[in-house]
This record gives sequence, C-alpha cells and structure tokens, in this order.
Amino acid sequence: MALIISVILLVAQAAAPQIVPPGGGNFADTGPKIDVEKAKAFKPARTESGHPNLEGIWQPRSSGAAYSILPHPGGFFLGQGSDTGIVEGGVLPYQPWAAEQVKYRREHVEADPTGHCHYEGIPHALYFAFQIFQTPNKIAFVHENMHAWRIVYLTGDHPKDYLAWMGDSRGHWEGNTLVVDVANNNDKSVFDMAGHFHSDQLRVVERYTLQDENTLIWEATLTDPKVFTRPVKMRFPLVRAPKDFMIMESGCFEDERDQAHLKDAALPTNHYNEEHEKEKK
Amino acid sequence: MTMKFVICFLTMSAVAFAQTYKAPRTSDGKPDLQGIWIARNAASFDVSEIAEDRTIPYLPEALEREAKADRVDPIIHCAMPGVPRITYMPYPFEIMQRPGYVVFLYEYLHNHRTLQVKQREHLDGIDLFLGDSIARYEGDTLVLDVTSLGSRTWLDSARHTHSDQLHVVERYTRIAADKIDYEATLEDPLTYSRPWKIRMTLHRITEPGFELKEQECIEGDDGRAIHPMYRPWSKS
Repeated sequence: MALIISVILLVAQAAAPQIVPPGGGNFADTGPKIDVEKAKAFKPARTESGHPNLEGIWQPRSSGAAYSILPHPGGFFLGQGSDTGIVEGGVLPYQPWAAEQVKYRREHVEADPTGHCHYEGIPHALYFAFQIFQTPNKIAFVHENMHAWRIVYLTGDHPKDYLAWMGDSRGHWEGNTLVVDVANNNDKSVFDMAGHFHSDQLRVVERYTLQDENTLIWEATLTDPKVFTRPVKMRFPLVRAPKDFMIMESGCFEDERDQAHLKDAALPTNHYNEEHEKEKK
Repeated sequence: MTMKFVICFLTMSAVAFAQTYKAPRTSDGKPDLQGIWIARNAASFDVSEIAEDRTIPYLPEALEREAKADRVDPIIHCAMPGVPRITYMPYPFEIMQRPGYVVFLYEYLHNHRTLQVKQREHLDGIDLFLGDSIARYEGDTLVLDVTSLGSRTWLDSARHTHSDQLHVVERYTRIAADKIDYEATLEDPLTYSRPWKIRMTLHRITEPGFELKEQECIEGDDGRAIHPMYRPWSKS
C-alpha cells in the first residue's frame, strides 16, 4: 500500500511539478513567523464557556517536520528542505546509546511506524492539518492524516498502567494559552522519518496560543530521561484554513509485504543531518 | 387475553414515553446527542440481527457476486469498517456537537466523522471507507445522508456486502436520557431488490469518569489484525 502511494505521488510530482504539496507536513519555512509580542497583545474571541476560541481547521507550517524535525535538505517524497527545522537550536541532545539508535533507524526506514499506517503520536500528528472542537470540559483534535483523533480533557488525571500512541492529554488554560500535558506515550511512535525517536518516558507539554485570528502558535517542551540529556523545545506556527475546507478521510491500511520496498525507495535521498552539516561547511 | 393486554399496555407506554421525552438542547437549539454511546448487540458479526424482518433483500446476481468474493473480512486488515457498520462495532463512540458541526469520535480503530451541518451536494468521483455524510436535523432527529461508500467494506463479518452504489440514510433520535433510537435505510440498486432498514438502540455509557481509550489495529506478519474483537470492559 505504501509503495502504491509513493509511486502515485512520484508520478504526480513528475507530471505536474507545479502542484503545491497537500497537507501541512511538508510545508517549508514560508508563511507567518512566530511573534510572541503580538500574541501577548492579541485578544482572542471567546467560546461560550469563556475560553479563547481555538476552533477551526489549522494547517501547520512545520518546516517539513514529517521528513525531519531538524534542519534538512529537501528530497524524499514531496519533502521540502528547511534551514531551521522545528527544534530550538537545531540539535537533539541524545544520550550516546540513543544517537546510535537514530543511526540504526535511518538505515531501517521500513520499520517507521507511519509507513505501517500507525498513529503518529504527539508532536508527529500535528505536522498535518487538523480541526479543533471545544466543549466546556473537552477539546477534540481531529486529524486528517491517519484518521487520528485525540481528546484533551480539562478534567481528571493521567490514567495508570496505560500507554498509547497518542498518549493521554490533560489540559488547562493559562491566560490565553491552552497548556496540554501529554503523558502515557508509548515507545513506538516516532518524531519523523529521519529516525528521531523517544521512549515511553516521553512527556510533552504543549502550549497553544493565538497570535492573531488566523495564526496559532504551537510550542512544546519535551522531556525523556531515557533518551535525551536535557529538555527539548520545539515550535512552529499554524495558519487557519480557508472557510470551505473540510477534514477529509485518510484511510491508511497497509499490506505487510510492501514494507520491504519502502527501504529501497527511501535510500537514494535518505540523507539527513550529517550531509546537511557537510553542505553548510 | 391477559398477556395480550399486558403487551398492548407495554407497547402503548413505550410509545407514550418516546413521545413525552424531549431531548435536551444544545446551545444553538439542536437536539443534544452528546455523550458516549455503544450498541449492545452482535450486529457487527451478523447485521441481519437488526434488519427489519431479519431479512436482507438480496438480488440473485448480488448473491452470486458475493459467493465469488474475497472471504476475509476487510477489518482483519485493519481497514475502516464503513457505514453503518462503524456504529454497531462493539466499541463505544462519542458524539460532540458544536454550532454547525457534529463530530463522531469512534474508539474502534480511532475512526472519526467530522460533519458540517449544512446543505450541499454530495462529493462525486471519490470512494471513501466512511463515506461522504451530509448532516441535517429534522425535529428531534439528526439525519445523515451517506454516499461514496465504495465497495470495499462489509456490513458485518458474515460477508454481507454492498456495491459502490450504496446509499445510507442514518437517523439518530434521542428517545431517553440514556437511549438513542438508531435507524438506517440502505439502498443499493446493484445489490438489494428494495431499500431495507436496520434499527437498534444506542446506549449511553453512564459510568462516572468513563473516557474513550485508544484502540489501534496492528497487522501481524501473517496479515491478520492483532486486536480484541470486543472492548475489554472493566465495569458496566
């Protein structure tokens, strides 16, 4: 299945190079820039329960994060290059064993869970368009890609003995910012296609703030004592989709036999940070 | 005689109950269907259980087509189960309503349907698993008109199939605080000799603090899904 999709994409790309890539995951660094001062001054519209109204369909400008969350050249699939990535400082503070694991994963793209149509997890699911619905106690994030959804509960605590691809999300409001604590993450979801990964000790604290009516800032602090040596910060802006947009169905289910081909398909342009570093020098 | 009277009385009181119950309203005045619901039946194994007269009016040629078709239930490969099957999968789902929108979040394989409540033309030239649903309210009833369902999904694991001409009209009516009357009409000129109906009750899960969990389908090396057929229940 994955192979068929990639062939279709490649054919489509060759036939019509002017087509703008769909979804948000591969958008480059173009579009609005994050302006924290502007966000502080902005007075957002409110929902009937008095919270800032984040409802709508949001398209991330996530600098090709689905491809790599670090600075990277363009290449694989419709991936566009990015000089910034979404990680503050452009470096992931891996522990030595974890850095080895990243290398291994880069050489085994066929093991990428998204290639097997799995849930992407947080932050991975946020690189593609999604819609927010707000009720007084629950905020639903409905993702187009992988037909994923997640409910952010404004009540209750993280469950015990529970691990999930999308984790368990508990949120609260700090002024005009929605703060979401994502725990209970399993160790199967990954950050991107470039081998960047986490353990089941991952904790993501997300912050959603409107910069203006049509721009949403996503910031996150990730901690993972098994994999990283210090907390990691990420951020990117999202833009409001035009009014006539709707979240469509993305039906992904794989055929196990196709996975072997994905590796070959990925190899020619499957070069990430080291190569990029070399180019810059 | 006595029994008849009792049955008659029970039927009348059920009708009276349904007529006197008035569903609460959402902030924009629509019948409030919000909550976590589940079908407590085995229709996902054999849909004829909830079919009117327990009969599916197949055309002879459709039966022939079915006999030749693939014998493996598509959900075994982690495919989305289609409409109406998603509604009677043995897993809970949550309905959220916002002004202009109805959202269905299904625990089963994290399916969702995000529906704008407005009149529009159906999408054309596209096949989807959960179809293209146009939502409207008729009095106390939410009506979903669903097309573009493709031919890849089954109505149950008993190999009751349909063609890509399937047109489903679903009707959700809240008849009590914890009950939705669900009715769907299935029309498919390539498969059925006439439109036919299924009907069941959706039960609200009232356990305090109950939340949907994540249900992911993992296809094993032999191509078979690794996930339970029923949601493992803690309580209720």
